[in-house]
Formats: sequence, structure tokens, C-alpha cells
Amino acid sequence: MKDWRIHIFAFFIVAICEWIGTKKVSVGPGVLLFLPLLYAMVIGGIISWPRLKLIKLQEMNTASRVLSLIALLLVTKLGVIIGPQVAKVAQSGLALSLQELGHFFGTVILGLPVAIFLGLGRESVGATFSIDREPNIAIIGEKYGLDSPEGRGVMAVYICGTVFGAIWLGLLAGYLAALKIFHPYALAMGAGVGSGSMMAAASGAIKAVFPEYGNEILMYAGASNLLTTVIGIYFCLFVSLPVTNYLYKVLTPIIGPKQKQEVIVK
Amino acid sequence: MKWAETVAIFAVTGIITVVGNTVGYQQPLAMAAAGYLFLLVITLLGMVLARYLPVKMPIVFWSSLLAVLSTSPISPWASIIIEYTSKLEFMALATPILAYAGLAVGKDLPLFKNMSWRIIVVALFVYTGTFVCATMIAQVMLKVEGLI
Repeated sequence: MKDWRIHIFAFFIVAICEWIGTKKVSVGPGVLLFLPLLYAMVIGGIISWPRLKLIKLQEMNTASRVLSLIALLLVTKLGVIIGPQVAKVAQSGLALSLQELGHFFGTVILGLPVAIFLGLGRESVGATFSIDREPNIAIIGEKYGLDSPEGRGVMAVYICGTVFGAIWLGLLAGYLAALKIFHPYALAMGAGVGSGSMMAAASGAIKAVFPEYGNEILMYAGASNLLTTVIGIYFCLFVSLPVTNYLYKVLTPIIGPKQKQEVIVK
Repeated sequence: MKWAETVAIFAVTGIITVVGNTVGYQQPLAMAAAGYLFLLVITLLGMVLARYLPVKMPIVFWSSLLAVLSTSPISPWASIIIEYTSKLEFMALATPILAYAGLAVGKDLPLFKNMSWRIIVVALFVYTGTFVCATMIAQVMLKVEGLI
């Protein structure tokens, strides 16, 4: 417990953010939902801003370890919510399994054409073959090495994810939910993207829009997130990566820029 | 990581979580603390299985399996576990995670600042794609199966 200061910061951040509570701001036809977890991320980010020198690098590393530990508790919490309704979850097994295809290919379908169009080159493959969390980095690291273009792509999206992934998904999920186009169960399954913090932000926002479905939303989000995490490791290695490589070859001559540029780093 | 250190960290985050739970959701402190302990025991058992069983599966697999079993109709302790853990809000567990995520973000900021805007745009499309495509398929399938 030599890094006790980080926990003191966390304590005050959590207490203040929960005290402020959820705020809604109407934007166009939808609503932007600001949840306590979003302020917590932003305030934490400001405190850890390197220029302020409030916390040391070693303390940031501790924070990162603590975060991956307590994310396990969140998954357990979802498990105890699923337990009593396990039959109901099994009933929607077909929808649950098929929507996983959306999780695995959604990154490629939307991300890859944009990446190629912007001239990312082979970085595109690492950047878009999955949502690029830790297990996916391991896959790319083993196959290409992390100092390859593919490795730089996966690391860049990974860092974007830790910096603004949860905030983006929280706002996006809340906005889409408030439009009332999709059923809360469908949105909940979509929220199971395979990252604890992103899933928490997204399902929290959906739950805030449909409080009457609270437990069902967490149940479907939890089941979907678990599937994405457990199957994802194998699916990304044996299916997503080869498919992304194939599409990269097909799409590059069509939508890629004429000359190759170095664009990951300015 | 050593077990003693793991448990110590869980104890500290437990205080943070339970206090946040009381401040934000007005849940009874003692019952939520008991709920946290139930979640902690299940999670630690999951970590033990992941470390010592010869079958290699991630911790989340084992802890989820134990958690689902602990409150499923076959469990003799289902009602008591549900009663206490329901006093600990899901969002009260999520807020500390994001607080620590924020506190850790400083180590990635120097790298992030050197990134081109292009990769940031791509990342936004990647996250949007996985969420929206899965939601669309789920919507269609749930309709087809008559579940919504």
C-alpha cells in the first residue's frame, strides 16, 4: 500500500461524482447523458495530467492494476444478476450468439474503409480487426510484433480506447437509446463490446434512459460482454484477422490514397 | 500479484465503492458492504480456479460461472446473495473503475498527444461499429424470435 495517495484521490473523485449524480442535456432529437462514471474518468484524467505533477508514473501504473482488478467485481456483479434469470438468457441464445458477429465484424465494416481511405496502410489491419483491448494486442504482437505497422495500429487504437473509449460509448449509447429506435434489450446486447469500462459506460447510459428495464439491460449486456470476451480471443485470431487482411487487399486499390504516407504519428 | 496485496486492494476499493453507493443511490451501508463481500468471495474463488485449474480459461470466465451458479435456482444461497448484492448498485461499482482509469490515463497522454487525428477518427469508427452493428443484429434477431 505504498501508493496510498492514489486511493485517496479515487475516494474523493467517487464521492463527489456520485453526489453530483446523472445529468441530461438535450441535443437534437436525442439526449446526452452525463453519468457519474464519466465525470470520474475526466476528473481522474485531469489529476493525472503529466504537467500538473500531482501523481507519479508509478502511481498511475498502480491505478491501472487496481482498475483491472475491480473490473472483475463488475463482471461478478453481472453474473449474480444473470443467475436467477439464466433460463431467460438461454431463451434468447440465438439472438445473443448472432449479435456477436456484429461485435466482431462491426469494427472492420466501419473502421477498415475509413482507415484505408485516410491512408493508414498496414496499420489499418491492426487498428480495425477488433476493438483492440489487451487480448487483441497479444494476438497482433505474436503474429507481427508490436513494432510492425500492424502493431502500431493496434497500440494506437488501444490507447485511444483507454483515453476516450468509455466516454464515447457512454455518450453514443445514451444518445441512441434516447432516440427510441432500438429496443433496450438490443442496445444492451450491443453494449457488451468486450471491455469492462466501455460496457459499464454504455449499459449505464442505456439503463438511465430505460430505468424500468434496469436489471434486464444489465443481464443482456453482461451475457453479451462475457461472450465477446471469451469467444473473442479465438474468433479474432482465426476469423477476424484473416478476413481483415483479405478485405485490406481488396479495398486498398479501390479507396486507398495514391501514395503511401506515414500518418500514425504526426 | 500476491494474494495479500490483491485482498488489500479489494478492501480499499470496497470502502470507496460502498461509500459511493450510499452517497449516490441511498442504499444501506452495512447491507451493501455485505453485498460487496459476497462479490469479492466469488471473484477470489474465480481467480483461484483460473490460476490452479489445468484448464486454461480467463478469470472472467470462472468468476462469471461461479456468480451465475451462486444465484441460479439450483443454489441454496441464491436468495441471500441476491438480497445483499442487490443493495450494491452496478453503477456504484462502475464509477470507481472509471476513476482509476482516469487516474491511470496520464501515462498514455504523451503517446496520445503525438497521434495523428486520423487514427483518432478510425478509433471512433471502430467503437461505433462494434456497438451499432451488434445492436442492429440483436434488434432484428429478437424481433424474428418474437422476444421483443
